[in-house]
Amino acid sequence: MSANEDQAAVERVLAGDVSAFEDIVRRWQSPLINLAYRFCRDRGRAEEMSQEAFLRAYRGLGQWRKDAAFSTWLFALATNLYRSELRRIPARTVSIDDVREPVDARTSDGGLEEHDRDLAIRRAVFALPAKYREALILYYFHDMDVPAAAQSLGLPEGTFKARLFRAREILRGKLPQLLAVPRLKEA
Amino acid sequence: MHAEDKVSETEMDRILSKHDDIVPSSGFTACVMEAVGREAVVLPPIPFPWKRALPVLALAAGALLAVLAVAVAVSVQLSRVSLGAHLPAASVAFAPLAPFFQHEIGTAAGWTALSLLVAFVSVKVSARLAGPGR
Repeated sequence: MSANEDQAAVERVLAGDVSAFEDIVRRWQSPLINLAYRFCRDRGRAEEMSQEAFLRAYRGLGQWRKDAAFSTWLFALATNLYRSELRRIPARTVSIDDVREPVDARTSDGGLEEHDRDLAIRRAVFALPAKYREALILYYFHDMDVPAAAQSLGLPEGTFKARLFRAREILRGKLPQLLAVPRLKEA
Repeated sequence: MHAEDKVSETEMDRILSKHDDIVPSSGFTACVMEAVGREAVVLPPIPFPWKRALPVLALAAGALLAVLAVAVAVSVQLSRVSLGAHLPAASVAFAPLAPFFQHEIGTAAGWTALSLLVAFVSVKVSARLAGPGR
């Protein structure tokens, strides 16, 4: 994905060529839908939210200051929208206290298969308070790139790191047995 | 940070980095472009007609300043007259208006008439600016 291609498409749209926006949609639809999906875990809703994100991007295209990459601006806009949407209508989640724990903490695998354990951890992420959940979602969406994730959330890096740390702490506190499994297997 | 925590963190990264990506449905782009097309044909909001409004606003500001200046001058003049002092040149300029402000009924009627006139002019100007002929 070239930044120049984005800039050229944006300039064409701003000059009145609406069809140039299709290039932007094609280039960014997959990342935007997948980001939405990580927020809501609902395919249909993810597409609806990302469609709205594209519409907002179209309306606000003139506000993109070219000092930041187009993708940075687009992800920040989309993240902001997804967060508001999920505040308005929350995704189906479970309470952090209801997250499934191993059946028997004394067994080496905690009574869960690896797949179940991964699923439990993902559910635990979803049950985190919003600000920690969002930090984790963005961090892994941006392939553990802290500056990119912080920019998407519009947070200073320090604040973002603090939230990430706290999110991990909560997860670790909730699921110690699950996280210990691979080490036991690898040993 | 303990080595144990590091391992846990690595493991957590491994688990949470795995994600089941979804592929956009086939009609997604068309759907977005349809919505964008609808958006594009909607007329943009009417910009405020600053070019036309500025002279009127400047006139209104001037009128307001003039009224304030008259009021200040008259009040100064009245206080000077009551003290028997000499009038400054600025106050002398507005001297003919002094009797008008000395009578309360006349003052009230004058302000009311002025307010009505300003309101009338505002309505006419607004209607003209927002009218179909713009």
